Amino acid sequence: MADLSVDLGFRTLKNPVITASGTFGYGEEFLPFFDLDILGALVLKGIFLEPRPGNPPPRLHETPAGLLNSIGLAGPGSAALQEIIRRLHARTAVPIIVNVCGENDEEFAEVAAIFSGLEEVAMLELNISCPNVRKGGACPAQDAGHTARLVRQVKDRVRKPLIVKLSPNAADIVAVAQAAQDSGADALSLVNTFLGLAVDLETRRPVFANVYAGLSGPAIKPLALRLVREVCRRAYVPVIGMGGITCGRDALDFILVGASAVQVGTVNFRDPAAAARIVSEIALEMDRLNIKDLAEIRGKLQA
Amino acid sequence: MQDERGLIEEARALGGGYFLLKIAAPLIAAAVRPGHFVMARVSPAMDPLLRRPLGILEGRPPYIWLYFQVLGSGTRLLSGLRHGDSLDLLGPLGNSFPEMPDKRVLLIAGGRGIVPLFHYARAYGERRPLVLLYGGRGKADLPLLERIKSLTLQRLFVFSEDGSLGQKGLLTDGLEKIVREERPDATLSCGPEAMLARLAGLLKGRGLNNLASLEARMGCGFGACHGCAVPTVSGAFRKVCDEGPVFPLEEIQWRT
Repeated sequence: MADLSVDLGFRTLKNPVITASGTFGYGEEFLPFFDLDILGALVLKGIFLEPRPGNPPPRLHETPAGLLNSIGLAGPGSAALQEIIRRLHARTAVPIIVNVCGENDEEFAEVAAIFSGLEEVAMLELNISCPNVRKGGACPAQDAGHTARLVRQVKDRVRKPLIVKLSPNAADIVAVAQAAQDSGADALSLVNTFLGLAVDLETRRPVFANVYAGLSGPAIKPLALRLVREVCRRAYVPVIGMGGITCGRDALDFILVGASAVQVGTVNFRDPAAAARIVSEIALEMDRLNIKDLAEIRGKLQA
Repeated sequence: MQDERGLIEEARALGGGYFLLKIAAPLIAAAVRPGHFVMARVSPAMDPLLRRPLGILEGRPPYIWLYFQVLGSGTRLLSGLRHGDSLDLLGPLGNSFPEMPDKRVLLIAGGRGIVPLFHYARAYGERRPLVLLYGGRGKADLPLLERIKSLTLQRLFVFSEDGSLGQKGLLTDGLEKIVREERPDATLSCGPEAMLARLAGLLKGRGLNNLASLEARMGCGFGACHGCAVPTVSGAFRKVCDEGPVFPLEEIQWRT
């Protein structure tokens, strides 16, 4: 049996499969489908200090093998999420990662501090890359300077490991990645959704009220894989790769280009037990390829 | 909720782009109530990526019936299913219409909005009198009428916009008179958003218990993605999939 465990330096995961923020609700929604302990970790839907209603409908638009979303980080706020986390933790031992959001730098730090103090939380993921909060899709992860300031400010307030989630919409994602790790990020995760646009020829208006929306799903996998490779070549902290993963082979592709672990996202909507299936498929593929340990292939792309 | 592989027992084209599937899905069929829906995985490939939400027309273990109109790539694939094919289903999902055993209930169905109301009449019609108001653009839009005649209904009113079936006009044109004559305690409705918005206006202030089942595009169907949220009059959003699809008619902020 292959060894699927992953050493992130600050923590070991029993396998590299993590469910991605915004695609796995607050974990509880998936309890009817599989034992969450199967996962390496899970990331909860992004959270702000206060409850947020999210964007007006439509919030989804399907594209070939892809999904545009403009949910707008609807959520119950930090106080309610603490209760949800306690409930979830009582039912599963899976490491829980909180996806931290903020309207401004101070809010990011405030929310991060709250969940850093919660015993049931294993790690924090700083969501500086959601394109659906500000009009036009702007986010802190588009700018290396802003990213550096924000990561330092958050690091000062937290004791738990901090993953910084990067945007593929930055002009130079490698520069932003370097800024994040130089400012104290314990790990990097990428990619968040690609900014996209859908229009309605009948009404001659954009489909989404926010105009642009975030594209995810199998359609983005080659784009994501390239960016993960670029970042891995310069990263000295672990990288968690994601973008369009739907099966074990997809997950291993990201590890081959240098990712330590992966996140599984949009496929959770189509197949609620997909993440559990992907764990099994990774083991089967490793056996088939005679890989005993993921370190044997991590970053071993020959190009 | 079950994640079940249904087996197509019978697939029928009803004309006008409408289809009826009889599916052996014993686990879902055993748990289904009027108003429930399923998420159907329309393709084994990744395009279309998402499942499609489909209301359940009827459940009689081990079978469920799905009735749908071809609207896009997903429903077109579903319309190609034949006897012996399989279809992955998640369900039953959502809340459901309450039985309301002591009430006089008026069912109001626009086009394919007949689905949950047909189910309601099938499940509860023999226990007490129900009145059904069913409308569509024309005869081709009301292909379920023959099947509706097998339901136990006290009265049936049919409207078509082009006059090809029943009375000519919108069903909302006839609502006032029917409510006056039938004196319902409650209305259960499902149909196009414009119809539900008009109903909300017409039924306002009459002291009736009005419940509507909403249609929405969905990402997951079980509350995780928040993609199907609709605005309510309080300003908050509600998820159609797991907080609905049945809501008090007055609670929804209609856009039209």
